[in-house]
Amino acid sequence: MFEVAVKMLMHDRTKYLGLFTGIGFTAFLVTFAMAYFAGFMTRGFSLVSENPSATVWVMDPAVHSTEATINMSDASLGLVRSVKGVSYAVPLYLGDATARFPNGHFQSFQMIGVDDAILSGAPKTGNALSAALLHMPDSVIVDGGGSSGKLQTPIHTKDMWPYDGAHLGVPTRKLQYGDTLIINDKRVVVRGVSSTIPRFPPRPLMYTTQSNFKRLNPGENRYITFIMVKGGKNISASRLAQNITRQTGLKAITSDAFKKETVKWFLINSEDVGDMINMVILAMLVGFGVTGVMLYMFTYENLRQYAVLKAMGASKSQLVNMVFTQAFIGVIVGSGIGIGVCALLGESVASADFPFRMMWFAPVLGFLGVLIVSITAAVISVRPVLSMEPGIVFSQR
Amino acid sequence: MKNFLHLHFIFIDYDLSMATNHRRNIALHCTNIVKIFNSGEAEVKALQGVNLDVYEGELLMLVGPSGCGKTTFVSVVTALLGFDSGTCITLDHNLATMSDEAKTAFRGKEIGFVFQAFNLIPALSAAENVALPLTIFGTNKTMAFSHSKEMLKAVGLEQKEHFLPGKLSGGQQQRVAIARALVHQPKLVICDEPTSSLDHKSGQVVMELLKKLTKEHAVTMIVVTHDSRVYQYADRIAEMEDGKIIRVGKTDEKIL
Repeated sequence: MFEVAVKMLMHDRTKYLGLFTGIGFTAFLVTFAMAYFAGFMTRGFSLVSENPSATVWVMDPAVHSTEATINMSDASLGLVRSVKGVSYAVPLYLGDATARFPNGHFQSFQMIGVDDAILSGAPKTGNALSAALLHMPDSVIVDGGGSSGKLQTPIHTKDMWPYDGAHLGVPTRKLQYGDTLIINDKRVVVRGVSSTIPRFPPRPLMYTTQSNFKRLNPGENRYITFIMVKGGKNISASRLAQNITRQTGLKAITSDAFKKETVKWFLINSEDVGDMINMVILAMLVGFGVTGVMLYMFTYENLRQYAVLKAMGASKSQLVNMVFTQAFIGVIVGSGIGIGVCALLGESVASADFPFRMMWFAPVLGFLGVLIVSITAAVISVRPVLSMEPGIVFSQR
Repeated sequence: MKNFLHLHFIFIDYDLSMATNHRRNIALHCTNIVKIFNSGEAEVKALQGVNLDVYEGELLMLVGPSGCGKTTFVSVVTALLGFDSGTCITLDHNLATMSDEAKTAFRGKEIGFVFQAFNLIPALSAAENVALPLTIFGTNKTMAFSHSKEMLKAVGLEQKEHFLPGKLSGGQQQRVAIARALVHQPKLVICDEPTSSLDHKSGQVVMELLKKLTKEHAVTMIVVTHDSRVYQYADRIAEMEDGKIIRVGKTDEKIL
């Protein structure tokens, strides 16, 4: 009867293509939404990801993410460095800065101050010397941080630092080596444009040394946002984090734990994420509705054929198996198409810098989603199959 | 209608009919079958005490005007439909005491159906359609198809075994349906208006085939029909009216 069920499913090309497309669309929608969401969340902890050598992150005990932070005193660095097992510990300063561009346009940046000596935390720019150029006075490296069109400076000299007010709407180009910006009435020089992992939420980044950071952000008493720690060979990251917490009273967690905590923070605190989740749920419900209705209709339209089989002696379990076989094949083929298309499309989407990341759970949830919906639809549609009077086979149509 | 029927067969007394056949085995024995359909507050008494015996190996035609209860009656005797009172013993099975599962298994094993609308599965080839009753009972695929091909040969469609129903004419589809009804060697075959969707010539072919196969396979056949042109193929004719068998008779070849 398995073969009969398959042939019934595959008989009408329009119907089965519609069914597979519907299920495929749902699987695609769910998988794509989950992968996109995972991409956003991955970008939420980009700061941690771009510093892979730091195995332990130290912060104020009240901090739970890279997004909402409060600074620690300079003394904390010495405390952390004094913990046994710490191979090295470097500070990372985070702050916000508004930069004036030469034509008068302004733009907010997240400013990241890195250790003056070893520049740990500075981005790679494709040029081995670029990070070292931060040692030059007033130097910064800028980065789009997932945003686009926000690092534009005027092309023509006449539009730069004009005396007759801002020259907005003039022809522009991307910032490049040697361009200057003004922050807090202080000049900074762009020594490179990097392309690090995009951020969530997207925003331009400005990397500089801690001394320049302090020059550009005067008046603060506490500057260190994070201390990035690498442990010695004989101690695990989690053990080292425990030791640091116990000895300094600061919060120290492994980089993996910090990533998870950041995602959790976004899920709980970010309204943007809440809106995204609502949209994902809405998309899923629409897709699930389409899948359920199509499967139900498919079975319902074949009701007479089931009646014939019932009249000829097919048992209830045989009919149930047939309906579920058709639903299951629909799920396998449809989700295969949907997830496959999602993977292919995702590759091109991701290469275009969109936040797409196909993590293991995205296709699994896509598959499980349509499986659950299809089983539900099969359960609902099998009811008329079981309850129908086989006597309907005697009616003419 | 009644007069029209009188032209085609003479009626003999119902009890006499039973008496003259008392030595033959009874395939179907119905006594006072009552079936009531409840549609909201309305109550429709479709069968109002049907009494009928059908004998093994005979071809009985069930005739009567539309709505007289013919289809309801064959649905009841084939366990497709329950009934409210009376006794119905089909092939030695008391339908009143059987569970739904037992009825389904009984139907699949002992009864074959030929429908007015053919009711072939459009997705299956002629051979697969014919093999269906065997497939339902888990018969080995090779064996099922071997029987299926034999039956298709018997109905003259051995060249069409791979054809889907949509590629066959109405007459051919009905022949496939007949092959399907007989492939599992049932003891009782129910034919519901087997010729009404066919032209006269195809109808004659189908009836001749049914008659021939009834004899060859020694099955009991009940044919529900409105088509007076096929009465000649009946061993007996039972006329229904208002939910009752009003007459049972034999065909009169002189009148025909």
